[in-house]
Amino acid sequence: MKLRSLQKGAMLVTVSALLIFVITLLGWFAFGCYISDGGRGWNVPISEYSKALTWDGKSYTFTGENLLEEDCWMMLLNPQGQVVWSLRKPEDTPEQYTLTDVASFTRWYLEDYPVRCWVRPDGLLVVGSPKGSVWKHDIAMNTQDLLQIPIWFAGIFLIALGSVLGLAWLTVGKWFRQDQQVRDAARSNWINGVSHDIRTPLSVVMGYAAQLEDAPDISALYRQKASAIRSQSQVIRDLVNDLNLTMRLDCEMQALRKEILRPETLLRQIGADFLNSGMETEADFEIDLPEIPLPEMNADPFLLRRAINNLLTNCVRHNSPGCLIRLGGKTVGKWIVLWVEGGMVTDSTETISHHPLESDGGAAHGTGLRLVAQIAAAHGGKAEFHNSTPYRCELWLPIKES
Amino acid sequence: MAYRIFIVDDEPALQKMVKDILTQEGYETDAALSCAQALERFRCAAPDAVLLDVMLPDGDGFSLFGKLRDIRDVPVLFLSARDEDEARLQGLGLGADDYITKPFLPQELLLRIKAVLRRVYRTVSTVSQLGKTKIDWGKSNIFRDGAEIALTAKEFTLLKKLWEARGNIVTIDALCAALWDGPLVGYENTLMVHIRRLREKIEADPSHPRFLLTVRGLGYRLKREEGQ
Repeated sequence: MKLRSLQKGAMLVTVSALLIFVITLLGWFAFGCYISDGGRGWNVPISEYSKALTWDGKSYTFTGENLLEEDCWMMLLNPQGQVVWSLRKPEDTPEQYTLTDVASFTRWYLEDYPVRCWVRPDGLLVVGSPKGSVWKHDIAMNTQDLLQIPIWFAGIFLIALGSVLGLAWLTVGKWFRQDQQVRDAARSNWINGVSHDIRTPLSVVMGYAAQLEDAPDISALYRQKASAIRSQSQVIRDLVNDLNLTMRLDCEMQALRKEILRPETLLRQIGADFLNSGMETEADFEIDLPEIPLPEMNADPFLLRRAINNLLTNCVRHNSPGCLIRLGGKTVGKWIVLWVEGGMVTDSTETISHHPLESDGGAAHGTGLRLVAQIAAAHGGKAEFHNSTPYRCELWLPIKES
Repeated sequence: MAYRIFIVDDEPALQKMVKDILTQEGYETDAALSCAQALERFRCAAPDAVLLDVMLPDGDGFSLFGKLRDIRDVPVLFLSARDEDEARLQGLGLGADDYITKPFLPQELLLRIKAVLRRVYRTVSTVSQLGKTKIDWGKSNIFRDGAEIALTAKEFTLLKKLWEARGNIVTIDALCAALWDGPLVGYENTLMVHIRRLREKIEADPSHPRFLLTVRGLGYRLKREEGQ
């Protein structure tokens, strides 16, 4: 997955989380506004009621009727707990209160009426609301804990944000992989389809060219031309095969069928097949194996055969007939190195390359060597292309773990 | 009597090319372009082997394979443009005798057909000629200069393995696998002893062998005689 896509995804999620946070705050504010009754009832500070209740030396006057809801009531208790003034006081409330009564209703309810209290120089002002209209609860909190509330909120918010980001990472990653798989499958199917369609006409071309190549009733020149058509068709065939396999390895669609292999057996069989396929006349071949048996390896014999065949064919194609091609194996630490050596390179500077296209020097031959590198990588190894004389390619493969 | 090969392929150009190759080599041919046509003609054609494409316009070769085998048990070689391992394994897993991927060289096709026919319709004749040496596969012995020479079991297996691939190199590992079961490490020297003894029996001059040749580092090859 590209870092840029991930950054974009993370940014998107962070912005979304912040947006959710802001909308929640605004929502709470809107809710507050909605439930507020325009400065009346419980939303009106009790001090306002107290200010509106005045003593003129003879009696009390209340001027805040507009602040008090119709079903609310008020009373003023003197320091002895006696009701000295009241407005719409319910009948089921007493006229006299003890210290215990006052201590109880200031915190809870007065005869189930939710009430608020305000201490004045002349006594205690009590404002009540209808039964069941307001929920009251006494809250007490350690000051230190209270001061930690913002930190807790911030922490919880960050944890929530982290969780959302993690979830988004997984989801976006999954989507991305699914997209990639769909794209890979489409690409692979397309290449597979095209190469499938090429194979049948190529069979006809190769078949007739091979027949003409051996036809006794045509001139040597035409037989030579038929031979060129046949050999070039074989090049196309190999390219198509490589293209298919390289695509499958790229998209991780090629399952490795690993077996325990003896490197010597594999190399000897590849060498024998190479010579049996008619290459004996094209190149001088030698196999170079150490006297001490090489350790076993766990690898896909089909893919390794393909990789080494590609290297051998590459040597034959890029060199004049009769050049010496050597195939061998050795152990280096925890690696088995299978190598192919042969032919010359035009550049006399010796370099080692891990990128097959660089050493091969042209896209036309790139697929074959790229495939070699891919096969090595699929086995947890690497391919090295030594741009020296003689030209040498090495496949580094891990030794089988015991 | 010429073997009759039944070709099932939906591509007329390819079908014609394969027919040409086979006819030139002395085979008789019959062909079909689809599953339906193949089922219709197969019984009358009574072929000795079938070349079967996997992707056909009205079905797939794998299903057709089973139907043809139900009618007549003949060797079948898949001839397909599908080169994935899965397709190859499916075809061979069904019991096909070979799986050839397109594009192919005519020579490769002929050799594979020949190998299958040889395996399935093994000729009764059990005598072969290697230079002046006559090999009697039935009696596991050879005749050279009028004298009968017995072969040990190992020498016989060795000679048979090399004869089956004559002209081609057979690796040390393949020969060891044919002679002994189990891990093959350390058998190379014993193999050399068996080769030397076999040379003494089949070669006029074992120090300068004419037929059983060593390919250094790889294995051995039983050389074909000129014109074989």
